[in-house]
Amino acid sequence: MTKKLYLIVAIVLVSSMLMSACGVPAVAPAPAEPVAEQAAPAVAEPAPAEPAAVAEAGKIKIGMISAFTGLFSGFGEMQKQGAVLALEEANYMAGGKQIVLIMEDDQLDNEQAITKSKKLVEQDKIDILTGMVSGDEGLAVADYMKDKNIPVIPMYSASEDITMREFHPMIVRTTWTGAQSMDVFGYWLAKEKGWKKIYQIGEDYSFPWNQSGGFMRGFCRGGGEEVFSVWSPPGSTSDFSSMIASIPLDEGYDAVLYNGGGGDAVNFVKQFVELGYDKKITLIGQSNTFEKPDLDALPVDIIGSYSPHHTADDLNTPEWNAFKEAFNKRWGRNPSAASEFAYSSMRVILRAIDAVNGDVSDKAALVDAMLKVDMTDDPRGPVSLDPTFHSAIENVYIREVAKAEDGTLYNKGIWTVKNVSQFGPYDPETYLKQPIDGNTYPPQKCSDFPPVMLDAENVYEFVEFGK
Amino acid sequence: MELKYIILILNGLTQSAILFVLGSGLTLAFGLMRVVNLSHGAFYMLGGYLGWSVVKATGNWPLALLVGGLSIALLGFLFEKTMLGRVRGNDLPETLLTVALSMIIADVCLVFWARTAITLNVPQYLNPTITILGVTYPGFRYLMMVISILIAVSLWFILYKTNLGKAVRAGVDDRETVSALGININKIYTSVFMLSGLLAGLAGVLGGSYLQLSPGGDTTILTLSLVVIIVGGMGSLLGAVISSLILGQIMSFGLAFAPQYSYFLIFIPMALVLALRPQGLFGRQI
Amino acid sequence: MSRFRINPVKVTFYVIAAIFLILLPYYVSQYTVTTFIRIIYFGFLSLSMGFLIGQGGMISLTQTAFFGLSGYIIGIFGVERGLMFPWPDLMAIGAVAIMAFLFGMIAMGTHRIVFLMITLAFGQVCWAFAAQNTTILRGWSGIRGIRPFVIYGINFNEYQNFYWASLILFALGIFILWRISKSPFGLALNGIRENPRRMAAIGYPVYWIRVVAFLIAAVYAGLGGILAAYNTGIIMPTTIQLSRTIWVLLTVILGGASFFFGPIVGTFVAVWLDVLISGVTERYNLVLGVVFLIIVLFSPTGIIGIFDQMRNDKKFNSIINFFSPKKEKPNS
Repeated sequence: MTKKLYLIVAIVLVSSMLMSACGVPAVAPAPAEPVAEQAAPAVAEPAPAEPAAVAEAGKIKIGMISAFTGLFSGFGEMQKQGAVLALEEANYMAGGKQIVLIMEDDQLDNEQAITKSKKLVEQDKIDILTGMVSGDEGLAVADYMKDKNIPVIPMYSASEDITMREFHPMIVRTTWTGAQSMDVFGYWLAKEKGWKKIYQIGEDYSFPWNQSGGFMRGFCRGGGEEVFSVWSPPGSTSDFSSMIASIPLDEGYDAVLYNGGGGDAVNFVKQFVELGYDKKITLIGQSNTFEKPDLDALPVDIIGSYSPHHTADDLNTPEWNAFKEAFNKRWGRNPSAASEFAYSSMRVILRAIDAVNGDVSDKAALVDAMLKVDMTDDPRGPVSLDPTFHSAIENVYIREVAKAEDGTLYNKGIWTVKNVSQFGPYDPETYLKQPIDGNTYPPQKCSDFPPVMLDAENVYEFVEFGK
Repeated sequence: MELKYIILILNGLTQSAILFVLGSGLTLAFGLMRVVNLSHGAFYMLGGYLGWSVVKATGNWPLALLVGGLSIALLGFLFEKTMLGRVRGNDLPETLLTVALSMIIADVCLVFWARTAITLNVPQYLNPTITILGVTYPGFRYLMMVISILIAVSLWFILYKTNLGKAVRAGVDDRETVSALGININKIYTSVFMLSGLLAGLAGVLGGSYLQLSPGGDTTILTLSLVVIIVGGMGSLLGAVISSLILGQIMSFGLAFAPQYSYFLIFIPMALVLALRPQGLFGRQI
Repeated sequence: MSRFRINPVKVTFYVIAAIFLILLPYYVSQYTVTTFIRIIYFGFLSLSMGFLIGQGGMISLTQTAFFGLSGYIIGIFGVERGLMFPWPDLMAIGAVAIMAFLFGMIAMGTHRIVFLMITLAFGQVCWAFAAQNTTILRGWSGIRGIRPFVIYGINFNEYQNFYWASLILFALGIFILWRISKSPFGLALNGIRENPRRMAAIGYPVYWIRVVAFLIAAVYAGLGGILAAYNTGIIMPTTIQLSRTIWVLLTVILGGASFFFGPIVGTFVAVWLDVLISGVTERYNLVLGVVFLIIVLFSPTGIIGIFDQMRNDKKFNSIINFFSPKKEKPNS
């Protein structure tokens, strides 16, 4: 009996080889696959039909990789909603062609992220890759995409090196870097508020490092003295109260900066308030700390806490209001920065496809078109792209947590700084000579900074929010 | 400065409270059934999420605690009756079933509840700010300590003062003899697994109130509970008490003095115990 | 069926299977080949776990840590120190062997479920260390930019070459492990699985046999880790997280833990299942969990076990006989 089983499997193998070898022209390799699956040694499982893998002429495929499950799935979902909204507004059409969005979940796992990228590139033959939530995920995918000649548009992934030290010409980032908003924030606190010493508690991975790097540069340039930093592992620290209890209240720190987002931020802020520290020392946050929807889980005692970002919940421009309304109508919730970034990235992609009249075969031309897209009507304010590093130059808003009439918290804009680039006030060459931001760089004492980083001329102009 | 240490110790005790509630459930099920319930973390998460829904709908926190605990007990009952019972006595399939269950629960939670961090709102009357001898500390944390002491006492009572407890303890010592004596060991298994589920659900509501609930949190919780019972000795209630007290302080002081390695630090007592006394502080040789 | 008798049907089958696999890059799409590469490196990992479960009765949840360790060594020495092939790879295997030896010495004092928990905890220690050490292992960011090498003019960056190299390594690995499991050592290990006390009484060094088995298994996981690191180009703590360990355990059980080829069949099915259902639904963890549940409840011997049962099943035999014209007497 065993013999016959072997024989049958062998026959299946041979016939599948013959079938796939003869019957499949080189242009459409997809149909060969179900056969190959079936022909595996010893497993004769019926192969399910491959979903939507058949290459269809005349359609433009956009691949989107994001963490829809796992630690950052909240951000992943917001990204998806923003991107889908932009596509629906365009009716899934651009440049006279139909747009297909293929979404893949990487579970925030590098092996999955690379595998899913490979799937999108090799099987789906996508024309554009977008998505990416976390900084590390973005760097990993960008590293893989280096020689693939496919434009990569990271959405919420903010590691600055994607558009700096590991930049390659197929990358276009219409969103942000970690340091971009924090540099302004640090500068503002030191210069305008006159703060000298900050006690920072941060999550120990690349995005907060980058935020901290920006913050420290800005703070020291503005005349600050010290940013004392403590780091804790992301996602696994649940009770921060011991770290909070260790904050020295008598050493003249002007504020505590919590440099983290998501679940960690909720834990930290809640415990900060519960231990009564909100009455003893000021709390400020990084860009994600007080972001919606995590803000809804935070206690009202944090009203007045500052944080910087490229969006503010009470932006009162026609563009933002229209976006907010459309988003609310489609998804039944208010947009967050992550969804706005996804929306705006997707719009850039669609407009670039329009600009090249749907001919996406020349990827370099497509990237050029993206760089030239007019983004002055972006919901979060006018955005333009730096032609050398393909990164965004945009508004930074300093915001404070405020209470709306219905009792919910929101981020109220107080100051606007226009046209901030990823290098802040520095010229790219000087900036890139510095080490990569980490948990030991920049130095905690401003006096240890290289003078060239302190001497840069101020380019920020603080405009009252809404004017 | 002294104030800081008092708060650190209190934090350690709060951590111990939650660790104990988690670990005691796991250790009970293990001691009797030789099943490591690897869905314990998922039970915790589901209990917390259910409690969150109750608080959101009614605003009644004690009700949430009740619902969170009891529904996980019910889940434990169903799981034990329909699946675990089928492979009874074969410890590896039993463990694998719990792994499968944890995968399913974790994914179902993603469908029904927010993917961002959520936290149960504790009403003000349960969370007053209490100042004792100049130390300000949230009342809810004291409440958690009290709850876990109550749980410890009632577990002790159940184990040592009731017929069920006698049968359980006898079962821990010698399963064969107990069934030979005509005691329905299956019934006892089911009750203990339910109790274990109840504790996980309670821990979920407590943990979801004092910390938060977010996707992927189940593996961290599972690991913590495993460390508790490895250090304390598998199957030992006293071991769970002592090891959660030790681990709570290590976590608290670790976060204060070596935050970067805080999560790593809790494994050090585990390594020491494994090297010097593999059965755990209060465990018996298996 | 003695293993010394040549069985023509079986040989024909293996030859055809080999040709099928070797010629794969010529007639399937690139992504199919990529998927086969994944099957190979996860196959190493699940073979490693399956060997311990099937031959030694030890459920070890540390194997992914060895898988990740070799990737980290490649990252540290191959990328950051710039050592040339084969040094990082040899160092990776060496490091895995040393670590497995040390850890095996600690863990082998325990059995069954306690062993499972200890290995689980040890795997978590490794994960926590990888995630929190930012000086050497780069924390959550991990080490990027790992690329296959070029030797003797063969560029392993080409996916076909990489596939063939992995395939050869895998075939060799399977063969060696097969020989090991049929050797006196393997039989002693089987004996220990059934009854460690009796084996000790007969005079076998039970403890050391288990340590060596653990070491061999770890090296297999390490080999898989090397291939995975080259294939994905990056090593991060997520490589060794608990959910991956559980997934690998699933593949072993799915294929059939008690069969030598079970882990490989399981990996094959699980990887393809992953590829197919993740395109259809976001809920593939749910699907995998349910599959896992069903397998454990209804077919503890896994897919191969189902086939084994089918072979003895009349209805199935009649289907097979339908395809072969001449009626034969069942030969076993």
